[in-house]
Amino acid sequence: MIGALFLYPLGYSLAAAFTEPGSGLTLMHFRKAYELYSTDILFTLFIVITSTLLTGLFAIIIAGILTLGETPWLVGALRQLYRWPLFIPFIVAAQCMRTFLAKNGLMNNSLVALGVMEPLQATSFLDWRGIIITFVWKQVPFVTLMLAGAMASIDRATIEAGRNLGASRLRVLIEIVLPQVSQTLLVGLVLSFVTMLSVLSVPMMVAGSQPTMLTVDMAFRINSYGDYATANALGVISYLIAGTVAWIYLRHNVKREVQA
Amino acid sequence: MRKGLWAAGFAALLLTTSASAQTLNVATAGDQNMVDYIKDYLGPMFEKKNPGVKVVAVGTGPGDGGSQKIYEKLDAQKKAGAASDFDVVVIHQKAAGTMVKEDLLKKYRDTLPTGKMVTRDTATNALGTDVSGYVMPMFHSQTALAYNPDLVKNPPSSYAELRDWVKQNPQQFGYNGIKGGMSGVAFVTGWVSAFGGDAAKLEKGPYDAATKATWDKALADLKEFNKNVVITPGNAGTLDMLNRGEIAMGPVWVDMFYTWKAEGKLPPNTRLKLISPGMPGQPMYYAIPAKTGQEKLAADFIALATSPEVQAEGIVKRFNWYPGIDAKNLEGKLDQAAWNQLFADITPDALAANGKPFPIGPYFNDILESYEKNVAN
Repeated sequence: MIGALFLYPLGYSLAAAFTEPGSGLTLMHFRKAYELYSTDILFTLFIVITSTLLTGLFAIIIAGILTLGETPWLVGALRQLYRWPLFIPFIVAAQCMRTFLAKNGLMNNSLVALGVMEPLQATSFLDWRGIIITFVWKQVPFVTLMLAGAMASIDRATIEAGRNLGASRLRVLIEIVLPQVSQTLLVGLVLSFVTMLSVLSVPMMVAGSQPTMLTVDMAFRINSYGDYATANALGVISYLIAGTVAWIYLRHNVKREVQA
Repeated sequence: MRKGLWAAGFAALLLTTSASAQTLNVATAGDQNMVDYIKDYLGPMFEKKNPGVKVVAVGTGPGDGGSQKIYEKLDAQKKAGAASDFDVVVIHQKAAGTMVKEDLLKKYRDTLPTGKMVTRDTATNALGTDVSGYVMPMFHSQTALAYNPDLVKNPPSSYAELRDWVKQNPQQFGYNGIKGGMSGVAFVTGWVSAFGGDAAKLEKGPYDAATKATWDKALADLKEFNKNVVITPGNAGTLDMLNRGEIAMGPVWVDMFYTWKAEGKLPPNTRLKLISPGMPGQPMYYAIPAKTGQEKLAADFIALATSPEVQAEGIVKRFNWYPGIDAKNLEGKLDQAAWNQLFADITPDALAANGKPFPIGPYFNDILESYEKNVAN
């Protein structure tokens, strides 16, 4: 099954990226991809890396509050709320953000109505910031879910010991809890990274097309020119980015196994 | 017993497929309004005239990408030696040229009673490819600048004036680049025609691969121009931002503009201006795939769709497109108010002078790719 449905198309698109009918092996599709889309490659990296880091940060904060929080209503409310975005598809999230983040959208209008901001100060977030906000909003619950699960299963005695010796909750979180769940955090972030790298709807709907993410460029190459070769070359570049992250993760794993 | 059940089920399945042989599959590229037009308006009308026939409309997506999908399916079916399961296709110019060259379409127009009512040259020439006989224009659409007269008292009347206006009013003009739909593409090809030198050659050919080097200056200027504009997400994105007052001006499709205005999604005072030396427009074509099994039904469908009554009521009045057949055939079929509304901002003279075709296929691709290389990257 994997062979037929994944490896065959993968091999086929790799072959298409590196060959040109009539002239054999070539790197011309990559040269073209670089000439036309070098900015977009950097832009994609920037968006995905920033989003992953922010996702990690928010996930740690929420999971930390869920595990160490001492305000029952806050923990209860967070526990109820944080999973919701998990059930909303990217395309729906993107559509919501389009009206929420616009210059005269719901967010700015609410801020103006509250008197926090003057109407003239309003700016549109429908650019790279919009993409990052949508990605983080969508991926935080996923990482938090994994992280909170892992935190719940560590030995409470280590936390209690830290608290009894007078460590603040923040210190307990950073020095005692996080090291024990770092593996889970890494898995969650790697999966989020790869997911965000492959989303087409969000950059297409939320931001304008200059610069944009590689997925949009691939779709454009195919839809406008029927040019599968350059699209495949861009695909290979995406594989490389995703592959690098997977490699970091695997290396980390191997190191741990050797240590153990 | 069990076997008998299976056989009965299979027979029932066969029966339903043969009954649905009277299904006419219409595949249409373009925005959702195209699917709505066939599903809600044309389809029911055709079903009423032909009892037992069911019209199924399938949308394949906006812009040339939608037509490309239709092309890929027909091409794959041809290579597999299979009959095509689309009976009528509605496609853009670029794909029509390719499909005619690769013998994927039937030559049917001369058999239609409405075939002689077509006069525009886009019915014979699709971006440089001779398509006469293979296609029937469904409608003609045009791009123009939409603006908010409260914010723009004296709208620019040419690309050169627009360039100065944008310099003085940064971030007040918005368009959707070239990846978010055809209104942005139209704006860019119009820019190259205006500043890139020989505009007539872009429209008529012959193609010369060296021409694109002469656009460098025009594209460098466009990159400079882009610094002061907002890049919007899509055709609808430009209209959205006009509606929310986030931009004061932007290129739009005339039909979308009127439809949005009628639905209250744009301020009622918003207006249009077709600037010189011209902005492109394009027809959508009805065509019949070469391997359809329902040639007769498909031709009847297109004959109905291009009849003066339907062109007046459906194309002009309901969907605000310019008619695909010669407008003089519509006289008496349309009330004066609907006619006037269509030409309120852009007079027939302005349309004739500044409504241009898109550049021929190879130049068109060159412009898009040069834009990606020199302006967007």
